[in-house]
Amino acid sequence: MTRLKSVLVLGFIAAYLSALSFGTVAHALKVGLCGNTLSYYVVWDMFCGWTAWDARTHLIAEGASGQYYDVREPWGEFHPFGHLARIHYDNTNDLLPRHIHNVLRHTAHEPIDRVFTIEEVWPKQYNLPPGLYDEHFGRPNDKMSYYHLRAVFRDDGSLMNIYPDWHAKQKLQAVYDNPRLRRQSANATSLFSTLYNPSEARAGSTLNTSMGSGLSTN
Amino acid sequence: MNPSPAENSPRTALGRFFFEQETPFGMALVRIFLPLAAGIPMALRFPHVRELYTTDGSPVQVFEMYRQGAVLPVLPPAVAVPVYGIMLLCLLASIVGFRTRTSLCLATVLYSYFNVLDGIGTLTKYSVIASHLLLLLTVSNAGSVWSVDAFLKKRSGTVNILPPRFSVWPARLVQLLFAFIYFGASITKIQTAEFFSGDQMRYWMLSNWNYENPIGEAVAMSSPLLLISAYLSVIWEVLFAFLVWRPRGRLLMLGAGAFFHFMTWLTLGLYVFPAICLSGYFAFVSEQDVVRLRRLATSRPFKPLLRLSALAMSRMAAAVPQTVPTGVTWTCLIAIAAIGATEAELRMDLYQSRSESGLMSLIPMDQDVALTMLRDKNPVREHDKFFNFEIGTSTIGYQLSNRRTEYAVGDTMIAQCNLNPPHEDMWVECLVQDDQERTIEQFGQFVPRESLRANFFYTLGNKLVTGQYSMVLKSANQEIHRRHFSLTSESAAANFDVSTN
Repeated sequence: MTRLKSVLVLGFIAAYLSALSFGTVAHALKVGLCGNTLSYYVVWDMFCGWTAWDARTHLIAEGASGQYYDVREPWGEFHPFGHLARIHYDNTNDLLPRHIHNVLRHTAHEPIDRVFTIEEVWPKQYNLPPGLYDEHFGRPNDKMSYYHLRAVFRDDGSLMNIYPDWHAKQKLQAVYDNPRLRRQSANATSLFSTLYNPSEARAGSTLNTSMGSGLSTN
Repeated sequence: MNPSPAENSPRTALGRFFFEQETPFGMALVRIFLPLAAGIPMALRFPHVRELYTTDGSPVQVFEMYRQGAVLPVLPPAVAVPVYGIMLLCLLASIVGFRTRTSLCLATVLYSYFNVLDGIGTLTKYSVIASHLLLLLTVSNAGSVWSVDAFLKKRSGTVNILPPRFSVWPARLVQLLFAFIYFGASITKIQTAEFFSGDQMRYWMLSNWNYENPIGEAVAMSSPLLLISAYLSVIWEVLFAFLVWRPRGRLLMLGAGAFFHFMTWLTLGLYVFPAICLSGYFAFVSEQDVVRLRRLATSRPFKPLLRLSALAMSRMAAAVPQTVPTGVTWTCLIAIAAIGATEAELRMDLYQSRSESGLMSLIPMDQDVALTMLRDKNPVREHDKFFNFEIGTSTIGYQLSNRRTEYAVGDTMIAQCNLNPPHEDMWVECLVQDDQERTIEQFGQFVPRESLRANFFYTLGNKLVTGQYSMVLKSANQEIHRRHFSLTSESAAANFDVSTN
């Protein structure tokens, strides 16, 4: 091995171990991780999240005639990690618009007015097999799914409306179910000052004049 | 590769750790098993290449999920499909060790590219680990033994009869990678309080996000088992880095690791993750291990088998023409893979766009089903806010560890309800009722939104007589669950209390 090769080997070892160390320290101390895609390659946060409710995503297209359609791949869903379609693993909702656009452009259908994204949730204890459910609960498995409107898209996948997900909605309701907080939020006033502008004041101007921002009818 | 001065005489322990000379049998085993474990899921994705990784589909790059935009170019199907075929061929060539370094280099780049391109359905932690291992295999000499390359080299007569030796640093980096992975995973668990109460794993085992988990649901309902295994797994993950390089600790740590990954298959339904990790474990195989195994293999019972395989190898070697340069053969194979992949994908015609019947129709939906989904305003049923309700007498880590239906006077019953978050702040009550459903006792407590469970302690005192009773869980004035129990006789403790009074 030449001297250059030795230096390259040592450099590679040092760089590789530094990257792994960075991932571990950053993960432990929660620094320098946000917005850094490459950190995904050096942070080992397997099973960092969990939920008590199982969830599925349904896409319902509304045709011009009023007929509803299931926006599912007619050529067969791809199941990446088990027996669920790829769309169900999209917890960041980045796939939704592209999935809608891709399915609609590759299928024959009437003009589509809008596509609803529905979140289906149910408590996970209902996933138990019948024997185990009976042993631990001693009552019929009366599983009921809850459906929640998450977003509305156009047929090209562009977003029309978006709403908080089911979990966020439940948490918000729990917080809002507090008369004191409701009263305080109702009494609070948001203020977007049009009378005083610090940068104008610094420049010596005391006039409240529009500098090109906002609506002008002249 | 000639040994460098540093390799010749590593003076420090650290130098010996990285630059000791060994035949890379361990890395050769990783080279054989890892591309197989990582390649099979990629081969299964081949029918959907167009949909997952091309401009004619719906790829979502992991960069986009981190709000950094589409950093990598997305290729049209005419380019992406043959490239995908080349990736599969390179993984296959790595397994057999044909033009090993080039194949591994291409496989690493293309495997990482296609994974990053589909952040939803391809990239996951197991593919990240596989990318690391492929990179480290590329910089190693994994193809120098047990490979087509080694065989061709031997046949040309340019090498010694003894297997070549190289610095062990690539194997050490793989070993260190696993130490970092497990240490990082332990940090994740330590930062997740619900992991140590068993709640997190319980809900994961009840999910059906992976493949079948034959015993996951049964384990999920056993709180003591979840708690004990949570602590054991974290202890093992932390100890791994400290014991795996010690002669006695190595087998224990690797054995525990193999058992851990095997259990993730049984309880969580993970197939590919354990396969990739266990194939990486072969990096811990040393030259000495192989020498010991070889001695065993050359012992009397295995000798005929060994002779037979040697004969078959020599016959095969004689059949392969010696005049074709390996580079040409490899290039031809790459071309065949690219053309074959293109042809196969076109024939599959995923979207049926070239069929005579034209595009497939969008699937109509039953109007009632669609309207049910669109108009559902049902509030969460009160009993859906609860996971379960059990009665017993002992706890482990604040979790009920036994379930009982028979009690004696003087016993302290623990009634425990587990809740499904998110839930609001609640007032939860327990009622003791007799067999006529007459309430004898009633007690309650606040369960704030952050709580996952509530325990009620009830001493079965002399107010009750022997007979059948129920412990009833109520919330929002609704009966949630009822557990029947019988009070049989006075316990020794109660007798003692009576006698002393």
